[in-house]
Amino acid sequence: MNILELQNLKKYFATQKAVDDISLQIPKGSIFGLLGPNGAGKTTLIRMITGIFYPDAGQILLNGKKFDPENDVRNIGYMPEERGLYKKMKIGEQALYLAQLKGLSRAEAMKKIQDWFVRFDMQSWWNKKVEDLSKGMGQKLQFVITVLHEPELIILDEPFSGLDPVNANLIKDEIYRLAQNGTTIIFSTHRMEQVEEICNQIVLVNKGKKILDGTVESVKQDFKENLFSIQLEEIPTTIANPFFELVGTHKNELIVKINQGHKANDVISHFINQGSSIISFKEILPSLNDIFIKLVEGTPSARQFQKVED
Amino acid sequence: MNKILLIIQREYLTRVRKKTFIIGTVLFPLLYLGLIFGTGYIAEKNQPDLHIGLIDYSGLFTQQRINKVNLGDSLNKINLISTDIEQFKLHYAENGFNGYLEIPATIDWKGKLDSFNMNSNKTYGIGAKVPIENKLNRIWTDIKNDSLGIDDAKKEILSSQINLKILNVNNQSANAGIATVIGYVCGFLMYFILLLYGSQVMMGVTEEKTSRIAEVVVSSVKPFQLMLGKIIGIAMVALTQFMLWIAFIFIVYNVGKNTGHAGGNMTAMVGQIQSVFTSVNVPLVLGTFIFYLLGGFFFYSSLYAAIGSAINEDMREAQSLSFPITMLVIFSIALMTPAISNPGSPLAVWASIIPFSSPIVMMARIPFGVPTTVPWWQLGLSMALLIAGFICTTWFAAKIYKTGILMYGKKPSWKEMIKWAFRK
Repeated sequence: MNILELQNLKKYFATQKAVDDISLQIPKGSIFGLLGPNGAGKTTLIRMITGIFYPDAGQILLNGKKFDPENDVRNIGYMPEERGLYKKMKIGEQALYLAQLKGLSRAEAMKKIQDWFVRFDMQSWWNKKVEDLSKGMGQKLQFVITVLHEPELIILDEPFSGLDPVNANLIKDEIYRLAQNGTTIIFSTHRMEQVEEICNQIVLVNKGKKILDGTVESVKQDFKENLFSIQLEEIPTTIANPFFELVGTHKNELIVKINQGHKANDVISHFINQGSSIISFKEILPSLNDIFIKLVEGTPSARQFQKVED
Repeated sequence: MNKILLIIQREYLTRVRKKTFIIGTVLFPLLYLGLIFGTGYIAEKNQPDLHIGLIDYSGLFTQQRINKVNLGDSLNKINLISTDIEQFKLHYAENGFNGYLEIPATIDWKGKLDSFNMNSNKTYGIGAKVPIENKLNRIWTDIKNDSLGIDDAKKEILSSQINLKILNVNNQSANAGIATVIGYVCGFLMYFILLLYGSQVMMGVTEEKTSRIAEVVVSSVKPFQLMLGKIIGIAMVALTQFMLWIAFIFIVYNVGKNTGHAGGNMTAMVGQIQSVFTSVNVPLVLGTFIFYLLGGFFFYSSLYAAIGSAINEDMREAQSLSFPITMLVIFSIALMTPAISNPGSPLAVWASIIPFSSPIVMMARIPFGVPTTVPWWQLGLSMALLIAGFICTTWFAAKIYKTGILMYGKKPSWKEMIKWAFRK
């Protein structure tokens, strides 16, 4: 079951086709990576999902029903990339206020805030002001405020920027825990190693269009280049053979690319027949980083302004 | 709806609980009074005071006559110089004189007079010569009276004058003097509140935008709700402050009345407040003031909110963009002065009906009496137009606000902002 479905979504600004006909499905309980270079249209897409912008065309379905910003905001938690809180307001009151704006009653909000503050060891913060917090502390608070009202769909824009590894892990664990309990998480970033680690499904957007969609595994499979790494006890002097080409060597490790029509077994039997002893043999899959760069490469690093017709 | 209430509550409480609000509420009346009395005091201190030597060849300006006028006013002393005239002309400045003038022997008390030259080594303002001129004229009148043989009794008869007092037959208790004062106080108070709290709305919106909280909040509520909540919340703060001032006046009045014998100052103040009560319809003035305060505030502050949403961190942008709005408020105060001196003139009537100037100008007119000076139809039309006006500006501002609050980077021009407003 898909919690969120976007159908041919479009949003044009005066000088940009910010989102140009994007469709995608996000299954319930998944951790979904929304990737793309700067200015690809991620923020605009998210703002439509959070009800801040209305799409120019297309449909958003939440739980199979047409998205109704007025009532559905209760089910969405959004942490924007640029963090924002009232600097002069006390932290406890601020959390209470923002939770109530989401539709929680005062008592309900109070109870949840206390739970979260205990979990994140933030009890002593209640009467402090945001301006007293460090950047990382502010980030934690922002995360708590985002998830406080237990939304079904949480959208996190670069949630780990500015966090030390300990706090990043704390939030990562919370993300896993929430996903396990059935919350869907959309995770917008351009930090590929985090995506690889956390997400099960990704979408890559560039210049307002979707250019890649699938599970992390399937995407990697699609972009693999038949590269294998073989570790041998001793590197043979001649390697020439019809099965593969040598791409590189590193100490006693060979990186090979298997030729069309041959299989990994051919490579292994080649070395066995040669009498070399194999220590390890594994396939090299491209990292998401490589795929990202490959797909986005060639497009200018900054998005150009374009004329929008119609 | 519930969410707007939450926003109003936050805006109100965070402001009212601030120390600056309490200090402002106490200090503003003091500063206001200080401004009025302070400028009066400084003006008094800076009255022109010239010390003049008078060289008289005619023999008419006697020491006795000069002493008489000097006695009446110790400032602008005139001294008769009769010896060492040439020496005096050269050294008058060292001897503490600001200048001297010579009365020729040919002066004729019956004839027409040419103007005299007062010789001085500095340039003085126009105001400086008036007291000296007055003194000389008093001496001159004395000279003429004596020459015509008019004694003190006849002088008394000659000095009687007709004083005109305008009595409004429809409203016997109306007092133009008090109405003028109340009109000025109301107009200026409105002006201060509109500008002060209008800029608070603008800065509040900018703060929300630059601290990026706006994006978090508008993912929970509509931008319009956020804007409206802020405006209403701050309007309530302004109203609270105004009510506190009114309460303060009533307390002073009641305390003063009960301890009436306490002292001259207190009784004088109570007496003044009493005369205000009898000559001005206080409940009507208060009621309309609150209406125009809110109406005017919504009219202007929604425009200020739109500007606040368009600017980024730079406060100079705020100044240049809000300049046209601020000019409207200042223009209204400029219209107020002629409106008070003639509250029934077409200028006053129309300025008090057109929405942008009506809060200030109408409040300046109302103390002169409703319905005698301001007919009911004018008041009604003005109020209806103000309501229509603020609905328009709020609608217009909301469109700009919606786009501006999430737009970072370049400062938009007015032209671009208007384009935002008319986009679907």
